[in-house]
Amino acid sequence: MIPASFDYVAPTSVADALAALAEAGDDAKVLAGGQSLLPILRMRLNAPEKVIDLGRIEELKGVSEDGDHVVIGAMTTYADVLASDLVRQHAGLLTDAIAEVADPQIRHRGTVGGALVHADPAGDVGAPALALETEFVITGSGGERTVAAADFFQDLFETAVGEGELLTAIRVPKHTGWGHRYEKFVRVSHQWSIVAVAATVRVDGGTIAEARIGLTNMGSTPLRATAVEQALVGKAATDEAVREACAAAAEGTNPPSDLNGDSDYRRHLATVLARRAVLAAAGA
Amino acid sequence: MSALSERPANPVVGQEIPHEAASLHVTGEALYTDDLAVRTHGILHAHPVQAPHAHARITRLDPSPALEVPGVVRVLTAEDVPGVNDAGVKHDEPLFPSEVMFFGHAVCWVLGETLEAARLGSLAVEVDYEPLPSLVTVHEAIEAGSFQGGQPHMERGDIEAGFAGAAHVYSGEFEFAGQEHFYLETHCSIALVDENGQIFVQSSTQHPTETQDIVAHVLGLPSHAVTVQCLRMGGGFGGKEMQPHGYAAIAALGSTLTGRPVRLRLNRTQDMTMSGKRHGFHAQWRVAFDDTGRLQALDATLTSDGGWSLDLSEPVLARALCHIDNAYWIPNVRVNGRIAKTHKTSQTAFRGFGGPQGMLVIEDILGRCAPQLGIDPIELRSRNFYVDGQSTPYGQPVRHPERVAICWEQVLTTGDVATRKADIAAYNASHEHSKRALAMTPVKFGISFNFTSFNQAGALVHVYKDGSVLITHGGTEMGQGLHTKMLQVAATTLGVPLSTVRLAPTRTDKVPNTSATAASSGADLNGGAVKDACEQIIERLRAVAAGRLGVHPADVRFSDGHVGKVGGGATVPWADLVNQAYFQRIQLWAAGFYRTEGLHWDSSAMHGSPFKYFSYGVAASEVEVDEFTGAYRLRQVDIVHDVGDSLSPLVDIGQVEGAFVQGAGWLTLEDLRWDESDRPSRGRLATQAASTYKLPSFSEMPEVFNVALLERAHEDGAVYGSKAVGEPPLMLAFSVREALREAAAAFGPAGTSVDLASPATPEAVFWAVQEARGGAEPPHMTAMVEGAPGVVPDQPGADAAPLRPRSEQAAQPARAGT
Amino acid sequence: MREAGKGAGAEPREDDVPDLATLSGAGLVSGLRKGDAVTVQSRTTPAVSFTLNGAPIEVAVEAGVSLLDLLRERLDLTGTKKGCNQGACGVCTVLVDGRRVLGCLTLVAQLDAREVTTIEGVGTPEQPHDLQRAFIGADGFQCGYCTSGQICSALGMLRELADGVPSAVAEHVAAQPGSSELEMRERMSGNLCRCGAYNGIVDAIAAYADAAGGHR
Repeated sequence: MIPASFDYVAPTSVADALAALAEAGDDAKVLAGGQSLLPILRMRLNAPEKVIDLGRIEELKGVSEDGDHVVIGAMTTYADVLASDLVRQHAGLLTDAIAEVADPQIRHRGTVGGALVHADPAGDVGAPALALETEFVITGSGGERTVAAADFFQDLFETAVGEGELLTAIRVPKHTGWGHRYEKFVRVSHQWSIVAVAATVRVDGGTIAEARIGLTNMGSTPLRATAVEQALVGKAATDEAVREACAAAAEGTNPPSDLNGDSDYRRHLATVLARRAVLAAAGA
Repeated sequence: MSALSERPANPVVGQEIPHEAASLHVTGEALYTDDLAVRTHGILHAHPVQAPHAHARITRLDPSPALEVPGVVRVLTAEDVPGVNDAGVKHDEPLFPSEVMFFGHAVCWVLGETLEAARLGSLAVEVDYEPLPSLVTVHEAIEAGSFQGGQPHMERGDIEAGFAGAAHVYSGEFEFAGQEHFYLETHCSIALVDENGQIFVQSSTQHPTETQDIVAHVLGLPSHAVTVQCLRMGGGFGGKEMQPHGYAAIAALGSTLTGRPVRLRLNRTQDMTMSGKRHGFHAQWRVAFDDTGRLQALDATLTSDGGWSLDLSEPVLARALCHIDNAYWIPNVRVNGRIAKTHKTSQTAFRGFGGPQGMLVIEDILGRCAPQLGIDPIELRSRNFYVDGQSTPYGQPVRHPERVAICWEQVLTTGDVATRKADIAAYNASHEHSKRALAMTPVKFGISFNFTSFNQAGALVHVYKDGSVLITHGGTEMGQGLHTKMLQVAATTLGVPLSTVRLAPTRTDKVPNTSATAASSGADLNGGAVKDACEQIIERLRAVAAGRLGVHPADVRFSDGHVGKVGGGATVPWADLVNQAYFQRIQLWAAGFYRTEGLHWDSSAMHGSPFKYFSYGVAASEVEVDEFTGAYRLRQVDIVHDVGDSLSPLVDIGQVEGAFVQGAGWLTLEDLRWDESDRPSRGRLATQAASTYKLPSFSEMPEVFNVALLERAHEDGAVYGSKAVGEPPLMLAFSVREALREAAAAFGPAGTSVDLASPATPEAVFWAVQEARGGAEPPHMTAMVEGAPGVVPDQPGADAAPLRPRSEQAAQPARAGT
Repeated sequence: MREAGKGAGAEPREDDVPDLATLSGAGLVSGLRKGDAVTVQSRTTPAVSFTLNGAPIEVAVEAGVSLLDLLRERLDLTGTKKGCNQGACGVCTVLVDGRRVLGCLTLVAQLDAREVTTIEGVGTPEQPHDLQRAFIGADGFQCGYCTSGQICSALGMLRELADGVPSAVAEHVAAQPGSSELEMRERMSGNLCRCGAYNGIVDAIAAYADAAGGHR
């Protein structure tokens, strides 16, 4: 047995899923890929009455193009995002990061939407989603609403997805031609990030024209290193200039001291990884 | 060459053959204990009630609400024990405690029709606790004077004179972490009772006889009423040497009381929070060198963190003391040992059994002192190697010390060390933010159980009328290839092809009174016993063959399934001869026995020759450290290891590689943490899953990994000239730690001495780099002190008891029903 | 001081909270609590039909049953082992539609119309798969407990290589992945081997891939 006993439903449409969610209310848990939820249920950290499996809702799967955006269905697995040429071409930062998520076994079942809603601060999709200024499409009984990345992550394991709502897709603005790099620091391969930095930059004539930096596990939510981003604009993509700008990477963060690393060590790592990520993204 | 070590022509030992169960393993057909559960009808499942305190008195325990839970069949408590309520051999491990001694201690067990029912039942059991003050760290225990067991003292020469005349004196403190076994198969026992009241326990145990002993004394039965079988284990590493007994006893008790089979399989969290681990140690030391860097004196006090009960802590500590010299001659030595009693799991055997902890102290000392002495660490180490005629601090002559030097030279050559050292110097000169280093460390590891009596083994060899052979021996298989080696030994001694011999599972009703499969001695001891049994049969068959072939019995030769005359001529097929012998009423089976000769050990005085021989090895490891993060790569490892004349080279190479990886994990990645706060969770194991306790994976392997077995390495004192292999190579991983230290030091000025925490995680290396660059002290480290008095190791009080030999303890009637 | 309270977990307790640390990269966190004991009811899902090792199978089990427990506890297919049951060791790796997944983190209910292959479906002692032969030849195991997961994982991994799935060690994510030893190690790192038989495992996979004219 995995968890305490529960009822299981597997709707085949978003509408049915929302109806099931409305009916069960507080007592329901939404199952996406289950790679975080199932261990939580097994350890009885949560004991829902009903589990609503979104795995049979085809409309939630797949990657498509919509004008200036790449649209990724919430139930698209990591593996399918990793294999997507669209994502690779227009949001390479996500491909970079997903190649570092856990191990291939997890990537075959885990979904991008599930990870974003779970909002583990050490998870690897939050920071790139933030850096790419992703829009989060949230659907409820009243219809669809779109939430900006900056407003999506609210606290530890808390997002803008409200009661009775589902994250149905993310819309990633195309960053075609932008350089990108996800620098992840771990003790052993395939583990949770101790710290990671997601960087995507647009270089114009050897100068950084735009930069977006996301931080993983430097606080209770993914963070944006705006001070670094601003400092980078207009700088040459040189080691020295980037190093100077990235010294501020930990500014305003409050990383945890835990089994995997000291707070001070994490703050230091953030500056190092930011420099490396930016330089690699800038092709320097 | 001795009769024991001499090999016949064309022996099966020494051949590179796959593991005996290879085709079962790769197809998933190989059965482990828990796999038997689904094949057992009507089985009940056991689930513990684990206490949420590090230390507490149980003031009330009411199991009755659990019985209301659907599917709960019975709750096992102290009142149910018909024999002795104790799961250890030291009588300090109540199976059902009245006092909680560590966070997660099982206070009672619930049996259910399903595991879920048992789990829900365990939640329903009502327990009141009165929390008591707890000691969670070794420092707290030292401060409080909380020790347990004997306090061994080992001394040679004149320690003060050694320091008085020395050119260089250093002292320091060093604390290093233990290690979780993380065998992938968690503890598991399945017990059932047959129609005649015979208890049958299938257990993942390295020590079936002791599991049998404990089950019998808990149940108040004589040993002949209990049979324990171990098919195989999914890893043991010492973690299943003493720890399985209590779980087996719970399953057996449950089965006795309900009449139904009982399955007790720990889940990963239960296993990690309840079972013992490698001891972490604290060491205080002072050391003296002469002006050429030769060791003059070592004064050290080792305090192991024993956890809540003694378990194997005394022999682990004794082995630590016996290995503090590693491969180095130290004329004047004084080492004291003591076991801290803390409110943690009962720390236990783990591959190396204290040897690694003792050796880590001297390797750490040499690594810290070399820069101060201005001597290259490779030179400093080799300058201090034992030479012929010298003995260990406990008085055992070091036989074949030249093998360390030979391994050392071979690694220097095959690893191209001189060239690479030059390359590394050039790399470091041209890379400001990344440094490389290459370190070499030796291993000398004593083989035999320290306690002489354990060095015995038995085997049962059956030759059936058709010539097929079935062997059973007292050792258990946990992946180390023991069964493979035993098949090879039997085939060699009987002179039959390997396919003629089959092996039956390890059971106490086949071979009684066995020792643990531990101390690397499985093949030495059981191989000796298998060989003895086979030789008895051969001697009987020799007479039959002599008659049939018309030759003198001494001229009969058994080889490759044929029996003939030495020097050639007509032969008789093995099966024909066996069949003929049967009709002549010749006994075709034999019980074999082996005891290691020439051992003596006084554990009270810490003196004697406890080891049959020493195993040797040398490793060179090259690392690259990143200044900014402390991250490192293990670029290359070269090993030459002495396994004697290998019984089974494929198995031995695997053991060397695997032990090295496990050692490197202990020293660099695996970080056991307990909650040391004053919160209610104080004493809780914080790293209790694979996600928080980091094990080496494929990606942490050395990028280049060259392992060679020392050639022409015959060992007279062991079966077919071989040597034990299970534990010694683990300690080759010191080379990784020392390389990390040197690479961190390379960020500082020449001559920088670096204190490195253990495990040397990237974060620890980062702080070491900061120290080398003149920054702050690494956290949790005490800097080394030059000159006297410095750190003065604590000396034992007048009331400190020495270790008492097990035989004295065994002489006391303590067990029920025996 | 006397502390009234039940054995464990009947009430949400502060000291249960760090459990989440074992499931999260976030270290010590708060916010989720262990749930109350829940009454056991036999709640079954509608029958799930899928293919297991080439044969159709229909099962109706409680919704909480994992594929791993179905195999081991109900179908007597004990070749797939239980290591951590938390998705962190890779021991229970099986193939679903040819892709490697963890048996402990897959519910039976999620398998409708899928094709599941376990080690029993890869080969038998009498007729082993070539990769299984390669594991024997290269001594790709010691205790054998992780072996069925390693073999299923390797089969999935080789297919991913053939499909051009990028990995973290590839020079550039857009590049067709090579199949260097480094690449293979990275792609297999979700499968732990506590005996440290990694060299033998890599050699076995490489030997098989070479012989299969594959990806090296």
